[in-house]
Amino acid sequence: MDETVAEFIKRTILKIPLNELTTILKAWDFLSENQLQTVNFRQRKESVVQHLIHLCEEKRASLNDAALLDIICEDVDLFDMKQFKNSFKKILQRALKNVTVSFRETEENAVWIRIAWGTQYTKPNQYKPTYVVYYSQTPYAFKSSSTLRRNTPLLGQALTVASKHHQIVKMDLRSRYLDSLKAIVFKQYNQTFETHNSATPLQERSLGLDINMDSRITHENIVEKERVQRITQETFGDYPQPQLEFAQYKLETKFKSDLNGSILAEREEPLRCLIKFSSPHLLEALKSLAPAGIADAPLSPLLTCIPNKRKNYFKIRDK
Amino acid sequence: MAGILAPGLGVLAHLERLENQMSRSRKQSEEPQSVQAQERVLGTKIQKLRHLRDDLKAAVRHRRGSVKACIANVEPNQIVEVNEQEALEEKLENVKAVLQAYHFTGLSGKLTSRGVCVCINTAFEGNLLDSYFVDLVIQKPLRIHHHSVPVFIPLEEIAAKYLQTNIQHFLFSLCEYLNAYSGRKYQADRLQSDFAALLTGPLQRNPLCNLLSFTYKLDPGGQSFPFCARLLYKDLTATLPTDVTVTCQGGEALSSSWEEQRASHETLFCTKPLHQVFASFARREKLDMSLVS
Repeated sequence: MDETVAEFIKRTILKIPLNELTTILKAWDFLSENQLQTVNFRQRKESVVQHLIHLCEEKRASLNDAALLDIICEDVDLFDMKQFKNSFKKILQRALKNVTVSFRETEENAVWIRIAWGTQYTKPNQYKPTYVVYYSQTPYAFKSSSTLRRNTPLLGQALTVASKHHQIVKMDLRSRYLDSLKAIVFKQYNQTFETHNSATPLQERSLGLDINMDSRITHENIVEKERVQRITQETFGDYPQPQLEFAQYKLETKFKSDLNGSILAEREEPLRCLIKFSSPHLLEALKSLAPAGIADAPLSPLLTCIPNKRKNYFKIRDK
Repeated sequence: MAGILAPGLGVLAHLERLENQMSRSRKQSEEPQSVQAQERVLGTKIQKLRHLRDDLKAAVRHRRGSVKACIANVEPNQIVEVNEQEALEEKLENVKAVLQAYHFTGLSGKLTSRGVCVCINTAFEGNLLDSYFVDLVIQKPLRIHHHSVPVFIPLEEIAAKYLQTNIQHFLFSLCEYLNAYSGRKYQADRLQSDFAALLTGPLQRNPLCNLLSFTYKLDPGGQSFPFCARLLYKDLTATLPTDVTVTCQGGEALSSSWEEQRASHETLFCTKPLHQVFASFARREKLDMSLVS
């Protein structure tokens, strides 16, 4: 048996939870009943996997057999809206006796959830609800910021279990515009593609300079202007930027200075400071910095990575 | 000449000198003449050449004039130019049409400055459906710059498996998923739009269109009990369901004919596309109606 095939089978089997292993191996129908009986499924998973690989080798498993096992194991998401809603509601109601949960489905495969929180002893507060938008069959949900800290873990748990995922992670991305958050998270903010049918060739760019100007006037630094324009276009693209209001950087770094013997440079502890950029449309503002001459092109990657890294809250420490 | 006539040398030498002097001066008086003659000869030559030049210039002017007159009077030259332009335009249109036709192959691409932009055109049963794009950057490692694949298609998983090692497999796998999704979506859309009369409730569907449930009646407005169908498509690369459950909403024990129908419906949903099953229901209904009346 090929080493790559062995590795492939090993990784596929490792992904299967132990309680489903026998069912899946039976469905695979590659190892015989006798062979499966020799395996002790109660030992540690690694040992079980080792034994199974050994049996596969004995039977000379091919790449096709491995691929078949892969298909059987594929974790297909059969999202059932009714099941999700019931499950979600049950989890919250079991934990907090007093909670109001309502759902509204929209056309875009999104379900809006409104949760009014109470406690074991108090009625739900209808004036401070949390809103969650869950996009079914994707691993993302968007939550409004009006949640008391103590309710957040419970909300996370309800979402995770109801959507049949394994864990939930908070992303450092916040904005007032749900559409922009969606565009960034689903990586759909650049939807212009080069095709053979596109009417305007993408190579043409207007320099933004006044072409109809008097021909007696020339730009002395036209080369530099063109360079800046090109770099800006490469970094930010031709498309409208998603709308964010803030970018926040928490720095915990040591002070770096060219001068020797500077007091700050001698500090052992890192400096802590918070830098916050705010704007009605932050990404468009950043895009216009270099062409306006306010900053050098290319801009710092810390600023340009925001849509790519899907975060606008950063913690920066010395490596 | 003072001096005694020395015999021999002196006088004769002197005479020779005088003779030479005379012949030199004669020569000098002769040269301007030859020079003049030469000048005269050259002068005539120059004049001849000037005449020749003027004649040639006149001839050129004349030729040009006649050519222009030709063009003005006769069209054939213009027509040749126009034909060339038309031929070029036709060629351009042909090339554009060929490039557009690539859409029908289902998988096409265009080179970009960074790499290639792949276009996947999905189709089902001969109907051209949605197109999806994947813009690849050719670097080590190969990466996806941006794409228009819907969020619920496991693009990242497929890329993790195949993008770096076997790009063909990556593209074909992605094509499989997208075509299957398009096909399932098409069937669900057709059911909702064309056979709404046979449905007794809204069609429940999820984003991947791999779990559909609906209730339907064979004779809308009739007395029969509606059927409940639940279609599970566990294989995301297929357009037919893997599990079908059909139940009768009556809640009562089914008569044997109803049971037969229920079982046959289950088989139908497993083997034929959804909208075709309903088309056969509609046809049967028409047949029954015509028989009755």
